[in-house]
Amino acid sequence: METVWTTALAGLIVFAAFGLICGLALAYAAQRFAVKVDPKIEAVRACLPGAN
Amino acid sequence: MKISRFLITTSFCLVLLLLGLAPVMAEGVGSGSFQKDTGIEISFGLPVDEAWAKNPANFDVYEKSDPDIKIAVDSVTLDPRRISATLRFKEPLNLAAEYVVDAKDITSDGKVIGARQFTIKKSETQVLFGLLLGAMLISNFVFTKYLGLCIFFGVSQKKDTAIGMGITFTTVMILSAVMCWALLTFVLLPYNLSFLRIIVFIGTVAIFVQAVDTILRKVNPYLFKRLGVYLVLITTNCIILAVPLENADGGHGPFASFTYALGAGVGFAIALFLMACVREKLEVCRVPPSFQGLPIAFIVAGLFALAFLGFSGLAIF
Repeated sequence: METVWTTALAGLIVFAAFGLICGLALAYAAQRFAVKVDPKIEAVRACLPGAN
Repeated sequence: MKISRFLITTSFCLVLLLLGLAPVMAEGVGSGSFQKDTGIEISFGLPVDEAWAKNPANFDVYEKSDPDIKIAVDSVTLDPRRISATLRFKEPLNLAAEYVVDAKDITSDGKVIGARQFTIKKSETQVLFGLLLGAMLISNFVFTKYLGLCIFFGVSQKKDTAIGMGITFTTVMILSAVMCWALLTFVLLPYNLSFLRIIVFIGTVAIFVQAVDTILRKVNPYLFKRLGVYLVLITTNCIILAVPLENADGGHGPFASFTYALGAGVGFAIALFLMACVREKLEVCRVPPSFQGLPIAFIVAGLFALAFLGFSGLAIF
């Protein structure tokens, strides 16, 4: 039982850390390569009925 | 411009890789080389007696893993300088295995010098090249394994999107294959977590696809728009998951993983490009109404698969 817990914990820690690092890197990339979208486009679209 | 810079970087990395492999290629004394798959050439370093060398009983040949199973030598030929000998065998050798040749009582100018052992193995570069060729042409993932057909039919309508997709796909494939190798070797295997590998590999692929998606949106909006939903669908592609899984099953190292991914990616790019060439022509052809669109594309893919059968058994080394 002991080994099962250590295995599970090790896996959890390593993959949580890996996910965190990659998430931060992706967030940084998203900021760095951000494409400017005019907020007015979204606002206008929200006002439209959007039927088609 | 961006693509050319990418190509330059890639080729630079390849040259570095080859330089790193150079010491592996130069092997020390006591080694030999395969002559096709029915012969082994060994070099003694000094002239030996022809009468001794001509006797096949003086050589014991076996696979290193099975020392008890001796392989019968059919004939031995010496080169004119009497320094190197070529052993011929009736049955083809397994080129992936490591062979050992024991030469007993080597005789030079009437004097017995003693025994000497030779090991014969394909060099690392040859193994890597075999992997590359295998993944690219011989067992092309699209045409002989029928994997990744979703993107294959989705993006092969125009040549430029096919090329863009090929490059993007290869990049993601190489990055994720090397990353998956590292995760498998340093995390999954030591902690006995290899049952998690499919989910871990898909997660790794998703990270790189997201990164490529973010970067491509800014760098090449035209290509981004043309690739559309298929760019994100790379994540769920069979090939991109099959490559790390096959690397894990085959016990490939970092270089082998890299090469296998490169071969698979380039093979997929070749398949996409060929298909796009044909489908651009199909646009102006008179196709029977019931075959228009996807059905004729499937028939063309089948014909390509038949043509790719011609690569089976191809071996350069």
